[in-house]
Amino acid sequence: MHKSGRGHRDKVQQFMAITGSSEKAAIQALKASDWHLEGAFDVFYSQPHIRTVTDSRHLEELYNRYKDPYVDMILVDGITLLCNDLQVDPQDIVMLVISWHMKAATMCEFSRQEFIGGLQFLGIDTTEKFRDKLSYMRSELKDEQKFREIYNFAFGWAKEKGQKSLALDTAIGMWQLLFAERHWPLVDHWCQFLQVRHNKAISRDTWSQLLEFAKTVDLQLSNYDEEGAWPYLIDEFVEYLTENGIVQSHQN
Amino acid sequence: MSSQKKRNFKIEAFKHRVELDPNYADRTWRVLEHAIHEIYNHNASGLSFEELYRNAYNMVLHKYGEKLYTGLVNTMTGHLKEIARSIEAAQGGFFLEELNVKWGDHNKALQMIRDILMYMDRTFVHSSHKTPVHELGLNLWRDNIIRSSKIQTRLLDMLLDLVHRERTGEVINRGLMRNITKMLMDLGSSVYHEDFEKPFLEVSASFYSVESQQLIECCDCGEYLRKAERRLSEEIERVSHYLDVKSEVKITSVVEGEMIANHMQRLVHMENSGLVSMLVDDKYEDLSRMYNLFRRVPDGLSTIKDVLTSHLRETGKQLVSDPEKLKDPVDFVQNLLDEKDKYDKIISKAFNNDKTFQNALNSSFEYFINLNNRSPEFISLYVDDKLRKGLKGVSEEDVEVVLDKVMMLFRYLQEKDVFEKYYKQHLAKRLLSGKSVSDDTERSMIVKLKTECGYQFTSKLEGMFTDMKTSIDTMQGFYSNQYSEIGDGPTLGVQVLTTGSWPTQPSAPCNLPAEILVICEKFRTYYLGTHTGRRLTWQTNMGTADIKATFGKGQKHELNVSTYQMCILMLFNSVDRLTYGEIEQATEIPPSDLKRCLQSLACVKGKNVLRKEPMSKDIAEDDAFYFNDKFTSKFIKVKIGTVAAQKESEPEKQETRQRVEEDRKPQIEAAIVRIMKSRRVLDHNTIVTEVTSQLQSRFLPNPVVIKKRIESLIEREFLERDKADRKLYRYLA
Repeated sequence: MHKSGRGHRDKVQQFMAITGSSEKAAIQALKASDWHLEGAFDVFYSQPHIRTVTDSRHLEELYNRYKDPYVDMILVDGITLLCNDLQVDPQDIVMLVISWHMKAATMCEFSRQEFIGGLQFLGIDTTEKFRDKLSYMRSELKDEQKFREIYNFAFGWAKEKGQKSLALDTAIGMWQLLFAERHWPLVDHWCQFLQVRHNKAISRDTWSQLLEFAKTVDLQLSNYDEEGAWPYLIDEFVEYLTENGIVQSHQN
Repeated sequence: MSSQKKRNFKIEAFKHRVELDPNYADRTWRVLEHAIHEIYNHNASGLSFEELYRNAYNMVLHKYGEKLYTGLVNTMTGHLKEIARSIEAAQGGFFLEELNVKWGDHNKALQMIRDILMYMDRTFVHSSHKTPVHELGLNLWRDNIIRSSKIQTRLLDMLLDLVHRERTGEVINRGLMRNITKMLMDLGSSVYHEDFEKPFLEVSASFYSVESQQLIECCDCGEYLRKAERRLSEEIERVSHYLDVKSEVKITSVVEGEMIANHMQRLVHMENSGLVSMLVDDKYEDLSRMYNLFRRVPDGLSTIKDVLTSHLRETGKQLVSDPEKLKDPVDFVQNLLDEKDKYDKIISKAFNNDKTFQNALNSSFEYFINLNNRSPEFISLYVDDKLRKGLKGVSEEDVEVVLDKVMMLFRYLQEKDVFEKYYKQHLAKRLLSGKSVSDDTERSMIVKLKTECGYQFTSKLEGMFTDMKTSIDTMQGFYSNQYSEIGDGPTLGVQVLTTGSWPTQPSAPCNLPAEILVICEKFRTYYLGTHTGRRLTWQTNMGTADIKATFGKGQKHELNVSTYQMCILMLFNSVDRLTYGEIEQATEIPPSDLKRCLQSLACVKGKNVLRKEPMSKDIAEDDAFYFNDKFTSKFIKVKIGTVAAQKESEPEKQETRQRVEEDRKPQIEAAIVRIMKSRRVLDHNTIVTEVTSQLQSRFLPNPVVIKKRIESLIEREFLERDKADRKLYRYLA
């Protein structure tokens, strides 16, 4: 019925593969953005989602499947099982996205409320539906706004309960993971710098400002503003880069 | 019909219609013309003023004013042309004289003529807007004499030549010059200016340009300036003698320009004689001359000031960085004081107490004193030295003077909090060892610090004095009390120190000898009896003791030692020999202190009340110590303890600096919170500026440290970053 040319059909396929949406939704979004993929993503994500109604009995069943025998929470074993069912590696970043949807307080555990609430929001009440949603969730990382939210969420989620700061090793692990999704060429230098010069925990402020730094400052640091009120660790990182010749100094 | 309305009656003035003989005018004119001739020929005595006046009057009355005037012009012009010829004919020097004489004549003639023609001046001249007679006379002189082609150039050349000759040392006829220039001025200021002044200034400019070139090649700076000064006063004198007073400022600015402004840089930077060597050698006269000359030209003073500043900074930098000079803190500070004195004197004697120079001095001192981060410590040591012994025999006013000078240096310090730390330490040592020369002087110093820095700076210091005083009262109370039955026992002197006021040096008390312990306990009981709720800890690392010792041949000496040393020595009352290890065990004095004490008791000539085996300076575990029977000294009282303040060793210095840095962090945070609480939202750079200005009376905060404190406050949720603008911070209530 639709007069889509070959190119359009490819785009539709691509769109569906990336977002996990239906064909109808794909065509709608692409049409709205004049058949530009980037724009279509924006359109798609800004639409309120149609929540499919979930069956609370099924949700209970699911929860109980993974819940720890002694505590009313899903702990490490349960999560391992979950990953198995989903055919996903526990280190897979999609677990972070899931935790974000669930507003999980700490990594490696879900409370009843978090789990059930999160699945309800996502419209999932069976393992199959869960599996189907995975590609959609992965795609959310491509959205600038959502990526920032997930990134900032990750800090609170990854740190120890009761601590204000994030242990360096954990932070480095998270950065490696996150910047694999959204490429930042300096991430390795950053991690190395921290291990050599800082060797202490990372504050929330530094964590969130790092993303801004990665997003706004170019790789030659030509638009790095010394007066830009960056956290001092980032100032020191810039010094480290120029000292070690990784980046040419812009001082005259 | 004639439109004749009212006719206004006009009564016409009575006109005396006198029919005149048409030759009347000619005849009358000829009389006057003749008179003018006579006047110019110096034959005026035969003329009747009254008759001539009447003739002129009649001519004007009968409307022959025009003829009279024209006649006057022509006649006068004729005479002037003749006069011009006679002047031109004058030879050499007589030219000016002739001109002068003829000018005088002309003026006299003009006066008479004007008198005769006064009626015409007042009426005809006025109503027909012609030039009045006197002025006319001057103009005609100007046009026919001064501006005559044969005279004009010659006149100027002569005048300029005379000036030149006078400048090169000849004596000239100043009176004649004066008359000539006055003549030019009388002819009109534009005549003076065009015909003399302008060329005069031009010629002067080249004269001085040449002269200054010559002088600068062969003179040193001082000589050159003397010569320039002389030329300047010459010119001023010249003006007063034979030039128009308004020429003064013009000619002086020519001299200033050519001799000074054009060579300013070269003069100032002249090797071995320029500004720098004048400063070094305290050449007040030369400096004063330079100041007075340079202030006349634009940028003159700023040139001096710039060279002064950079010289000060250079020498100052050397003073504070030269390792030789850093060996003795007291010398170091003395050098600074001497340098300040030197330049204060220069500024007052040679630079007219000029405020901008004062400021340059202050900013230079501030710059280099803070180059060396030990300056605060050294200044405190200097004061310590003076308060300890250096002021004996010096009058009270002189003491005040020295301390005031030190305060000036103190003001330059950026790290006043570091000074405070050291001052406290040194003061504590002075007070506790009783080594302060004068309580009044100590107080006076505190007052000065308080005036400079405010109450907080000195409140703890004052606390120390209070403790000392209170302790005296406490001791009196103790001894008059029944608790003390001393008898033969040792006499105890206790200073009770309030922990917060004194610099803390935590140390575990050592083991005191039994006799001492007894009386100490008595004191403790007494004190706690009158002051409940307090805790007393003996600071055995800070006390002193006087011990009576009897040596081998019965010589008695009184030894003044530290508490630690006393504990060691008392051990030898019961045993003859002790190893290091045994002493350590018995006294529980910390090893590093113990070793130092033993070294001062056994290894120093003249103070070796103990004998050491082996005789080496190092102390090993098994080294043995004996009471030195053979000890001799020519003094009855022997001082062995060292409680004097010295400059810190490297590790001590690091420690102090670290403590200072730690102390600064809460101060910075408090400042940030204060500022944010009142401003609510503020950008990063403004916070840094405000914090710096709030703390500047104590120290200069490092912007990086401020940034770290801000981040710490963010983490502790006192502040947050604005969501949209990273540079903005908000106060979280």
